[in-house]
Amino acid sequence: MEQPRTEVAVDAPRGWDRAVVTMPVLAFLSLIGGQLPSYTTRANVYTICLGGSMVWLGLSGRVRRPLLAPLGPGTAWWLLPIGIFGVFEGSTFLLGTPEYPTFSRLADPLLEDELVRSAAYFAWLTTFWALVRR
Amino acid sequence: MSLTRAIAIAGFVVAIIACAVVEVLARRKDSTIPTLGEVCAHAIAYEVGRVPIGRIGFFGFWWWLGWHLFAR
Repeated sequence: MEQPRTEVAVDAPRGWDRAVVTMPVLAFLSLIGGQLPSYTTRANVYTICLGGSMVWLGLSGRVRRPLLAPLGPGTAWWLLPIGIFGVFEGSTFLLGTPEYPTFSRLADPLLEDELVRSAAYFAWLTTFWALVRR
Repeated sequence: MSLTRAIAIAGFVVAIIACAVVEVLARRKDSTIPTLGEVCAHAIAYEVGRVPIGRIGFFGFWWWLGWHLFAR
């Protein structure tokens, strides 16, 4: 027997909401962010303003996409990587020694290089954009 | 490098590799495992009443993560 079809009304994508437009913009913003060293007012203001803009876009629902199919039974597999990461991040955070560093303490020396910092900034922003569009 | 530091690095590397492996398995045809993006989409859609708890939680965490890595 044929199942009834559920139809979902979706707004047409906005002209600027395309990868060819958003990716260069995010890359440009990442290059600027990569030039700003940590522990400076400029870096704080820039990151807080960029993140705040993303949160505003995400909560206003301007670029939201409809939900797809429900999750299958294989979802539990994601607990494996999340669990491993959680165990190490939790234990390193609780012990708090330089000889058993957290993920961010391991990343800090790598992020001192401007190119790596810009690339990481780009990864952060594009992931943020992907979350906002969900 | 001390043994504990090597253990911490190895643990995070294993977690990242496991994440990549599950994502690759999820992208196979007819896989019952959802992709990370699909899991996030469902978690983000969680609401209590009219309050978008999932969106607030995800966006807040990602905002804090960027500030933690690039500004503080």
